[in-house]
Amino acid sequence: MTTVEGPVLQARGRCWTFGDNIPTDRLVKTKYVVEPMSVIVAHVLEDLNPRFPLEVQPGDIVVAGKHFGQSSGRAIAVKALKATGIGCVVADTFARTFYRNAFEVGLPVLELPGVSELVSDGDVLAVDVAAGTFRNEATGQERTVAPPDAFLLEMLRAGGLIPLAKKRTDLFDPAT
Amino acid sequence: MNMVEKILARASGRQSVEPGDVVVAEVDLLIMHDLSGWLTSRVFDKQVGGPVRHPERVAMVFDHHYSPPTEDAADMLKANREWARRNGIQLFDCGNGNIHHTVVRRGLVRPGAIVVGSDSHTPVHGALGAFAAALGNDSHAGTVLPYGKAWFRVPETVRVELVGTPPPGTTARDVALWLVGQIGEGGLIYAAVEFAGPYVKELPFWDRWLFPLLCVDLGAKCSFVEPDEVTEEFVRSLPPGAADRPAHSDGGEAARVLRFDVGGVAPQVACPPTVGNLADVSALAGTPVQYAELGGHAGGRLEDFRAAAEVLQGRRVHPDVRFNVVPSSREVFTEAVREGLVLALHEAGATWFPPSTGSNQAYNMGAMAAGESMISTHARNFPGRNGSAEANMYLAAARTVAASAVTGTITDAGELA
Repeated sequence: MTTVEGPVLQARGRCWTFGDNIPTDRLVKTKYVVEPMSVIVAHVLEDLNPRFPLEVQPGDIVVAGKHFGQSSGRAIAVKALKATGIGCVVADTFARTFYRNAFEVGLPVLELPGVSELVSDGDVLAVDVAAGTFRNEATGQERTVAPPDAFLLEMLRAGGLIPLAKKRTDLFDPAT
Repeated sequence: MNMVEKILARASGRQSVEPGDVVVAEVDLLIMHDLSGWLTSRVFDKQVGGPVRHPERVAMVFDHHYSPPTEDAADMLKANREWARRNGIQLFDCGNGNIHHTVVRRGLVRPGAIVVGSDSHTPVHGALGAFAAALGNDSHAGTVLPYGKAWFRVPETVRVELVGTPPPGTTARDVALWLVGQIGEGGLIYAAVEFAGPYVKELPFWDRWLFPLLCVDLGAKCSFVEPDEVTEEFVRSLPPGAADRPAHSDGGEAARVLRFDVGGVAPQVACPPTVGNLADVSALAGTPVQYAELGGHAGGRLEDFRAAAEVLQGRRVHPDVRFNVVPSSREVFTEAVREGLVLALHEAGATWFPPSTGSNQAYNMGAMAAGESMISTHARNFPGRNGSAEANMYLAAARTVAASAVTGTITDAGELA
């Protein structure tokens, strides 16, 4: 399994669909939280689709309904999804802790209300997070939304908050 | 500006802020429990390193464990202790209580402060007039520990005004659960939710607590009750802590106002699989439960033990039910001892557990087999958090939990013979 590193803000791949209000507890179950990432990633989302951790390919796209990633704010849930190598997550709406964590760990995500109605599992999608564009290549449907805040895009391009904070001492450590 | 905007402006060195602004603000308190502390310390040591800028502003509370049940758990707690000692961080070890109750009871949370933590219920500290938000491990490891700062997008404010007086058997916990059903999970994503109106104003502090607690289920970033004489009196009862810097709204308009009349709210149960899946207790009556528990972020309060003792007076826990009671802090246990509640619940058949977060995620207790059910004061009911994904967690008020422990089925306390 390969991991996409760095600032890739465009993705093209087959999509895996999930429903509304998926909690982080079901992305990474409690019993795996303290395991090594190689173990965690083998079980990510398995309760909701046992094929997902086995068959997900680098560049694939996860599409979810409303309030994706609710419940526990564990960043490990986002890191596990990122470790599958997926290109991005698109959802009708995100839970805010999941959304924040996604940018902080460098996983591109796009909030696109109504997206869950536009896709069927397995459709090939093309998404550009920085441009806010979405295209379902199976149906030809296209959508454009306002892209994420400029600060969040800067964070994604830096590879996450930790590398950004080291670079942007003007923001986080102005005394030095 | 309102309370949240004033706190964020002060802490980021600005005259004013507006919703949508991204600011970097000085953090007054970072709280972590045994699990999030472990994850955060690993990220910090591996990817950041260096000294912790303000160790006196960081607290770790072991609340998922009151005593490690496995060698792996003991290893984790030992590593946490060593990390806390090495970095000069305040540690509240096993047996102190639930993370949020413990830091409040020890005087670490003050009005006007910025409080952050990985636990998603961290916004509860808005009950004291703090700006409190849940951030991820990378915020804590990447900016809060090394620089004492965090980034925030200033949220828009939604005021939820509650009017009316509920029927006698309905408690604040029922009203809070009912609101999640009314507003809907994810109904107020990214908002700062202000709880206001005469119903909220009349509530004592530990009942107000239950409202900011639920804002995470609404998708909100933070929540608050405007500090008033109830807040001031509560803060005076706490040990001296850092200076209070209360911030008061100066009439800024909320982006939206939602009004609810709580006059007709019946006792509630949140049914699996999510917190927003509400029903009147009467609709669930007769559903068998094998476990009942008072504990967790939303329970284990003195108010819960009093309510249970009242329901259990002259009654006993059903032989098919394990009724577990978990104080939210050592302080609460002391008060329960003094009020005779410990003996009353013990003699009625309940089992006392050490101060902790109880069955939250079933680290130390509270795992269920497939087909088993629990009714509790906990904050979460997602499948798989308590053992089998085929087990059921029902969330309710202490009165309903105690009444269900008596009959062995979900029961409205008002219907007990």
